[in-house]
Amino acid sequence: MRNDWRSLAPALAVLALLVVAAPARAADEAAAGAPAAAEPPAVALTTADLKGITTPSADDLAKGDPGGTLTGSAADIVMADPKAGLTLADVVNQVGQNRIAVNFVWTLVAGFLVMFMQAGFALVETGLCRAKNANHTMMMNFMVYGFGLFAYWVCGFALQMGGCAPSSTLGGANPLNSEHTIAFLGKTWGLFGQHGFFLSGATYDVAVMVLFLFQMVFMDTALTIVTGAAAERWKYAAFAISSVFLGAITYPVFANWAWGGGWLSQLGANFGLGHGYCDFAGSGVVHGVGGITALAVSMIVGPRIGKYTRNGTPNAMPGHDIVIVLTGCFILAFGWFGFNPGSTLAASGNGALRIGSIAVNTMLAGCTGSFGALLYMWMRYGKPDASMTGNGLLAGLVAITAPSGFVSTVGSVIIGFVAGLLVCVSVELVERVLKVDDPVGAISVHGTNGLWGVISVGLFADGTSNYGGSWNGVAGSVTGLFYGGGAGQLVAQFIGVGTLLGFVFALSYMGNWVIDIIVGQRSSAADELEGLDIPEMGALCYPEFVLKPDAFGSGSVKAA
Amino acid sequence: MKGLGLGLVVGGWMIAVGGLLATEVMMVRLGVALAGLATSFAGMAALNSAHVERALWKARGH
Repeated sequence: MRNDWRSLAPALAVLALLVVAAPARAADEAAAGAPAAAEPPAVALTTADLKGITTPSADDLAKGDPGGTLTGSAADIVMADPKAGLTLADVVNQVGQNRIAVNFVWTLVAGFLVMFMQAGFALVETGLCRAKNANHTMMMNFMVYGFGLFAYWVCGFALQMGGCAPSSTLGGANPLNSEHTIAFLGKTWGLFGQHGFFLSGATYDVAVMVLFLFQMVFMDTALTIVTGAAAERWKYAAFAISSVFLGAITYPVFANWAWGGGWLSQLGANFGLGHGYCDFAGSGVVHGVGGITALAVSMIVGPRIGKYTRNGTPNAMPGHDIVIVLTGCFILAFGWFGFNPGSTLAASGNGALRIGSIAVNTMLAGCTGSFGALLYMWMRYGKPDASMTGNGLLAGLVAITAPSGFVSTVGSVIIGFVAGLLVCVSVELVERVLKVDDPVGAISVHGTNGLWGVISVGLFADGTSNYGGSWNGVAGSVTGLFYGGGAGQLVAQFIGVGTLLGFVFALSYMGNWVIDIIVGQRSSAADELEGLDIPEMGALCYPEFVLKPDAFGSGSVKAA
Repeated sequence: MKGLGLGLVVGGWMIAVGGLLATEVMMVRLGVALAGLATSFAGMAALNSAHVERALWKARGH
């Protein structure tokens, strides 16, 4: 009886959240129905008005400006012709450039935050592995940045974004205007971009550079997911080739279909499926691709020696440092503020002020994700497991990534909480039923919850977002099933999930199968038992520790 | 077995997309898409079982 209660508790918790959500939604609808405020008076500014503007003198500024009231004035506006003085055209042009500048800086800073997530992934994955493989795991996470970046510069970015529509928030990026399409059954299907190889030619452009940096760090996030799932037995050379393949081909092609103007994004325009496949910041594009590829690679590489007994019972192989695991989770949660709010590619105009809402949604889903996982583990196993609670945080963040720009806080709370439960169930399924060894839970955190995040857009999108009046070429706001949007958006999301499974998984599997034939994916049994630090990297991560043999081989117990 | 699994994975995707071309009734499209997903999952399970059959731990009993 007690066990029954334990198994029902998570479901009851979700129900309780839904009950809380209903009146909140009703309040939102009531507020939406309130009469609109009177419109502000129109302002007609003329060049004559500019003559009355006074600016601080050089003497005033020379005294210093501790209050910040003098610095930045009309004197700082760039004039096209100083002899003619300040004109209305100068002011208007400055306003336009300021808007683009704000968006450039916002997108770049968000990209820098996402880049820093590499450090978070490195800590999480290394901490969850045994000490004898710490150098190897860290070096995979370190160099995946370089391998991925190079591959993406050579061809990945062009395949992904080479045919995307002009990005108005970044002032154009107009050179990215060539998408390879095919006509099939009366519809146009965008397959891959054709401009931007090596960032050369017309793509040597300021807006394109900003877009490249931001998209590159997203791609690299997908790559680093795989290193966790295949850790502790993946040959370094195979990892390098596999990462280049993912960054150059698999990721960019799917990302083109979703974000670069490809056929998935056009499901709304072509087939009337809502706004087409909607993935605001990449639950599917980044985490789904990474998690699904992690599954394919893990199948090929196989479980670590000692993970399963002969009858298939899994052995626990705990990581060596929970401190760096949870520190890594915090770094990732911090970086996610670049991941999701940054995906507006703007802080000014086109509804980009929704970045505040997106940031709060991100916080909440991460919070409830960790909450869900903690509850599940506590009820099922009697202890609030630290590593799974950390994974719950990440699962909530992964799940909210796609819907973050389209849902309310109530929706994000539910999405995150479900993700926290889902990651625990999925880890058990992958380990015990599929018997796929995933040392860090990457398949469940990123794959399972990436798919959940994609689907949740079709359920929870509340129809209030307005990014320039349309999304994926379809006018209006993205609206899910629970908010009166019908089933069309949900179907589009399922087609996206089907493509992740049918295309990304198949391509990743075949690509890594070929790599397995050519260089071999798995390290030797002797190297694995010794730990990959010395055989693969030539140095121990913790040379002053004494590594004592464990039940499965050598070197997982540390002593000073 | 691996070939069959991979075929089902890709076939499921084809089914899901094919549903869009076959009908404009949204609920039918939804059903076909779900059937496609189920097919792909079945394919992944088949592919995985082929790997598990030859798993190291089965052969050596670590």
